Amino acid sequence: MIDSSVLETTLPLATAGEIAVINLESAREQSWGQFWHYPQRPGVAECIVEQEQMALQFLSDATALDSLDALVERFARTDVDPMRIALIQAQVSSTKHHFSEARAHLRKTEAWGPLPPSANRLLLSIDQACGNNLDAVLETRRQIAAESGRLEDLVPLGALFADLREFDEADRIYQRALRGYQDVSPFALAWVCFQLGSLWGELVTEPQPDRAAKWYRRAIEYVPSYVKARVHLSEIYLSYGHAEDAETLLVPSVSGNDPEVHWRLADVMVEMGKLSDAEALMRTARSGFEALLEKHLLAFADHGAEFYSGSGNDVARAFELARVNAENRPTLRALEQAHGAAIEAGKSDAVTQILSAAENRWGKTSAFKVSPLADPCHRPDVNIPASI
Amino acid sequence: MSDHVDGPRSIGDPSIDLTDLFAFTSPADPSRTVIIANVFPSAGVSAMFSNVVNHSIVVRRMAVAGLGEAAKFKPDDQEYRFNCKFSALERGSDGSKPIQRGTCTFPGGQELSFVVNDENGASTPNGVFRVFAGLRSDPFYLAWLVAILKKFPNLLEHDNVLSIVIEFDTKRVLDPGKGALFGVIAETSAIPQPRTLIGHEPPRFDWVGRPEQTNMRLNNPAMEGADDVRDLWNQMTPFALAEEFEPIFRKRLLDSLTNWDMRDGKADWTPTDMSSVINVYLDDFLLFDVSKPMSDTSFLEIEKSTLRGRPYQTGGGRTVNANVIDIMITWMVNNDREFLQGGATGATKPGINSFPYLASPNTQIQIAVENVVLTAPPDKVWTYIGDFGAAWQPLVANITTVGAGVGQIRTVETIDGKRIIERLDASDNSQRSYRYTMISGIQATDYIGTLSVSPKGTGSSVEWRVQYWADGQPDILVKTVVTTLLKTSLDSLKGYFGAAQ
Repeated sequence: MIDSSVLETTLPLATAGEIAVINLESAREQSWGQFWHYPQRPGVAECIVEQEQMALQFLSDATALDSLDALVERFARTDVDPMRIALIQAQVSSTKHHFSEARAHLRKTEAWGPLPPSANRLLLSIDQACGNNLDAVLETRRQIAAESGRLEDLVPLGALFADLREFDEADRIYQRALRGYQDVSPFALAWVCFQLGSLWGELVTEPQPDRAAKWYRRAIEYVPSYVKARVHLSEIYLSYGHAEDAETLLVPSVSGNDPEVHWRLADVMVEMGKLSDAEALMRTARSGFEALLEKHLLAFADHGAEFYSGSGNDVARAFELARVNAENRPTLRALEQAHGAAIEAGKSDAVTQILSAAENRWGKTSAFKVSPLADPCHRPDVNIPASI
Repeated sequence: MSDHVDGPRSIGDPSIDLTDLFAFTSPADPSRTVIIANVFPSAGVSAMFSNVVNHSIVVRRMAVAGLGEAAKFKPDDQEYRFNCKFSALERGSDGSKPIQRGTCTFPGGQELSFVVNDENGASTPNGVFRVFAGLRSDPFYLAWLVAILKKFPNLLEHDNVLSIVIEFDTKRVLDPGKGALFGVIAETSAIPQPRTLIGHEPPRFDWVGRPEQTNMRLNNPAMEGADDVRDLWNQMTPFALAEEFEPIFRKRLLDSLTNWDMRDGKADWTPTDMSSVINVYLDDFLLFDVSKPMSDTSFLEIEKSTLRGRPYQTGGGRTVNANVIDIMITWMVNNDREFLQGGATGATKPGINSFPYLASPNTQIQIAVENVVLTAPPDKVWTYIGDFGAAWQPLVANITTVGAGVGQIRTVETIDGKRIIERLDASDNSQRSYRYTMISGIQATDYIGTLSVSPKGTGSSVEWRVQYWADGQPDILVKTVVTTLLKTSLDSLKGYFGAAQ
C-alpha cells in the first residue's frame, strides 16, 4: 500500500480546473440549446442531467435543480421512448432526494422489460442513500468495483464503507480510486480528495483536521471553484483560529448562491469581531437556506438542520428539518443528526422515538456499535433535563 | 460523431475525446496536405483544450501488401509525428477573456507556437507548416438512428468541436518519392510527469483512424447485450494491434458486419469477402495517397479497390465534406449495391476551401422565457389568450389570420410598424398550449414559440418561451425585441386577471 503521506504530496495530473469549469459551463449551455431545439435528440437529456449534477456538486449551483425540473417537465411532453423518460425522471427525483418518487419511476420501467444497467445502478445509489439493504448494496458495489476498477465505481464503494464506519477500508478504496484513475478530469480527482477530506475531518470517530485539510486543499487545487471543499476547509481554519485564511477561502465563492458560504463567512466575521458584517451575512444565509428549502426541501433538509443547530440558532427549525431528512432517508447518520437536534430542541418524546427507530434499524450492525446512539449516556432520561 | 464518447475512459474530461480525423490535399494549394483532428463532442462556445494532454497526429508510409482476399496495408516503421500541447489559460490584467496558447512540434523537431482561436493560425518562417487550433462548426453529420437504421435529421446539427488543423508542404514533409500512400491516426495521450508516483498514466486516452471504428463497427448499436470492447480497443497501440487481442476484435467485427449486412434482410457479403474486409478494418488507420486526387467521394476507395483486387484510382483520404456515414453504411449493409442516403445531405455548415478548412463555430441557440402567475384559473386565462389569432398583446396593433387549426397563418402588426408572420404548428386545448414558427418579420432562424397555461395553486401560470438563432443581427438586438414582446404581453395579463402574490 502506498503511504498516505506520499499520496498527499503527489497526485495524478489533471486538466486545469479553470479550463474544466469553463468547458463544463459552456457545454452545459450548448446541451440546453440542443435540448430546447430538439428535446428528443438522442442522449441530450441524459447529458444535461450529468452536467447539472456536476454543477450542483462542484459549483454548488442550486439552480441546477430548477433546471432539472424544467428538463423533466419538457421531456415528459415529448414522444420519446417512455422508458427513457422514466429513467430521466428517476434520475432527477433521486438528485432532489425524492427517493420514493425515483423508485416509482423505475418501477414503471419494469413493465417495459428488464431494467437497463443504468437503472440498476440508480437503484443501488438510492438504496445506499436511504440506508436500505446495505449488505446487498455492499456486495454489489464490491462486485462492480472489482470488475471495472473505475473511479466512478470505487468512490461510491468507499462512501459505503464510510457509512458502515469502516473508515480504514473507505480510505483504502478512495486511494485505489486515485491510483487507478486513467483520465484527466479534475472533477473526478477533486471528488475523491473531497471524500477523503470529509472522511478524516468529519466522519471518523476522532477527526484528524490536519489530514482532512490536506485533502480539501488538494480538491481545491484540482477545482478552484469547488465551493463545498472551500467551505469545509474554512471550518478547519476557523477551528484553529485562522480567521483570515478562512475568509480568503470563502470570499471568492460569496457571489454564488450557496447559503453555506454566507453562513461560514458570518462565523468568520464573528471571530474577527466584525459583528455587523456577520449579522448581514447571517441574514443572507438564513434567507438563502429558506429559499432553497421552500423549493427543494428534501435536497437541503440536512444542510438546513446543520445550519439551524449551529449559528443559525433555531433549534426547533433544526429539529423539524433533521426529522424530515431522517424520515426521507433513515440512514444512521441522519438518525444521529435528528437525535441530536431533538435533544437540542428539548423534544424528549422524539428523542426516544428516534433512538428506538435507530436501534430497530441499525442496532445489529457494527456501525451502530461505534455510533453515539449506542452510548447509554445519550439516552433521554440521562441527557434531557427533567424540566423539558 | 465518428468516435464520440466512445468508451467509459472518455467519460472524464470530454476535451480529450477525439471525434474525427481528416486527411486531404488542400483545395487551395495541391502541393500541400491538410490533416485535421477534432476533439470535444458538442463543445460549448467557450471551450478550451486540456493543458495536460498531448494531441498527436501520426502518419506512416504504407505499402499495399496484398490484393483481393489477401488485401493488406503494411505500415513502415518510421513515423511522422505532429504533437500539439496547450497551455493553462492566461488572463489579462484588465479582466478580458482568457486566452490559451498552443505549441505544435513537427516531424524533425521544429516547433510552432500559436494562439487558440486565431483564425489565421500560425506558420513556420519557412512556410512549410501552418497550424490552427480552436472552436469550429462540426463538419461531421450523422443522419440515421443507427440502431434501427432509420433516416433522421442530422443528429449533430449546430454542434461545434475543438479542431487542430495542420497544413504542410507535402513534398518537404512526407517525401512522397519514397512512396505516396500513407496511413494516419490521431491520439490523445498523457504528457509524461516525472513527479507522478501514483499509479501510472495510460499510454493513451483515445485514438481514431477510420471514422466510427468504435461506435458503429466494434460497438454496433443493434447488437444488444454484447460486451463493450471500445475501452479495450482504445488501449491498443495504433499501427500494431496486439496479437493476443486480435481474435477478440476479429470476432466482434465479424458479428457486427454480419448484423449490418442483414439490416436490409439481404446477405450481400460472402464469408470470404467479409473475412477480407475485417482484415483491413483491424488495421485501423485512415489511408490517403498524396499522388492521386482526393475528393468528397474518394473516402475508402483505396480499401475497396484493393479488396477487389485492382489498383486504386484516387487518393482516398477523408475531406471535410465527405459523406462518410452514408458511404460506410452503404458498404456494410449492401456492399455498395445501392447507395443509402441518410436524412441529411450535409453538416450544419459545409467546410470551406481555404485555411482553416472548417467553417466558423455555430452560435448558440437563443432562448427567451417569460412567466407570469395569475389568480385566475387556467381555463379562464386560456379562453382569453389560447386562440392563435387573439389580439391580447399590448404591443400588437392588429392581427389577421388565414386558415384555421394547425397551419393557420397569423400576420401581426406591432404598434411600432413591424409586420411579423407566424404559422401555428401545434395546438392542444386540453394541455392549454400552442406552438408556432415565425416565418418572417424578426431577423432570426428556426424561431419557435410556445405559449402555455398550467395550474398553479388556485390560479394559473402562463409561460411564453421562444427559441431561435439570431440571423446576422447581434444576439442582443434580437433578444431585446423578443423579450420586450413577451414580457409586455404577459405583464398585461396581471392587470387583466390579477397577479398572484
